[in-house]
Amino acid sequence: MKKRYLSILIIVLFSLALVASCAEVVQVGTTIGQGMGQISPEDKESIDRLAAQTAKAARPMTDEEEYYVGRAVGATILGQYRLYANGRLTSYVNMVGQAAVLASDRPFTYGGYHVAILDTEEVNALSCPGGMIFITRGMLQRVNNEDELAAVLAHEVAHVNHKDGLAAIQKSRWVEAVSLLGSEAARKVGGAQFTQLVSIFQGSVDDVMKTLLVNGYGREQESAADLSALTFLHSLGYNPDALIDFLERLTKEQTRAPGPGVFKTHPGMSERIVSARSLISKNQWPRKEDPGRDRRFREMRI
Amino acid sequence: MKKKDFLFLLLGLGLTSSVALAATVKVVTQEAIIRGDKRFFAPAVARAPYGSVLQEQSREGDWLRVTYQGKQGWIHVSAIQEQKFQLSSLAGGQAQETSHDEVALAGKGFTPEVEKAFREKNPKMRYDLVNQVQSYKVDEQKIQAFLQAGNLKEPGGGQ
Repeated sequence: MKKRYLSILIIVLFSLALVASCAEVVQVGTTIGQGMGQISPEDKESIDRLAAQTAKAARPMTDEEEYYVGRAVGATILGQYRLYANGRLTSYVNMVGQAAVLASDRPFTYGGYHVAILDTEEVNALSCPGGMIFITRGMLQRVNNEDELAAVLAHEVAHVNHKDGLAAIQKSRWVEAVSLLGSEAARKVGGAQFTQLVSIFQGSVDDVMKTLLVNGYGREQESAADLSALTFLHSLGYNPDALIDFLERLTKEQTRAPGPGVFKTHPGMSERIVSARSLISKNQWPRKEDPGRDRRFREMRI
Repeated sequence: MKKKDFLFLLLGLGLTSSVALAATVKVVTQEAIIRGDKRFFAPAVARAPYGSVLQEQSREGDWLRVTYQGKQGWIHVSAIQEQKFQLSSLAGGQAQETSHDEVALAGKGFTPEVEKAFREKNPKMRYDLVNQVQSYKVDEQKIQAFLQAGNLKEPGGGQ
């Protein structure tokens, strides 16, 4: 008889397993198991706790948490660079940026995408987790047309899509944060665990900053962002070759550019160009230039 | 069945079960616009704040047909999270969040309170400028006109 009950239990649990989360199925199982006298209340408690911990440790950062990390990264960058006060140009770069966003894999994030211009001669573009994107005045001066600007912004949108900023956070920090989150104490503002959580937050922001401004992303991440950017450009009707044109010119100008900027944090330009050219040629995407776009870009008098 | 076998069975079942039941979805952006058609600039039918529960009717590509407060419309898949079926009540316990439920986890991780404490520790941070940047909005009609004037296409089937 007991065997029959167990067979039923297995079938029920398998059915539930198809629609529910790990920790919940385990909890149902342990409750039934305890009721049948298969496991003790102590065993049930420890199994439930283990399942809950396993599930929580595996959880990724939520979009809302990504948003707060991104805001802190943005606030750090804006503590070091001034915003360029040119409303007309800011509105224009936001238009081009939004176009890239619409073509992207993740057009909606918790707080949306916003592009800002940093008032510096350094040549760089950066994206914060969640969708805040910075482009420097120095970078704007080096793009020759709207399609090249779209290529730079599409590349940054791709980094947000791929969550490359979040990937810079040391895994041990997030594991520690998640283990704290299970406790009520961590939510009590001012308590020791809450202070620890704030310190993990600080460390996470530092990790992202270090990658954005010092170390840069890995070559694979840069190349993947290029390939996504090319897809966005093509689906919008921008010229995908604009990315290659820009990277080639930037490589030539590399020695003359001031400050740390894009050259230190964006290595392997020649490999990126080869990889981008290969995607365009594989898909036979034609050059698509447009006089209207060129005209409105010139009117910006960047 | 031995007690040890039973424990292994439970853990095994738990580890292999994470398939979502896609009957309802939750909004994971600050505010999502539900639209009359599966296009970015289709007229808005309703606005659903973060955490709103929507009933999923069908799915076409990256767009979900949903019902929200009696209104039907379309929402992009990146603005929502699928819900997982809640079993805890069947086990006689309290209803619990699923492990990856974005909305249920709200307020439990990196939160506005964490940001506030972080700001107090780092007064040089320019959150005022971050707020300014995040206030940049692109008007839908303007971007449509911008795309058209630049001989560009609206992605996802729009004209």
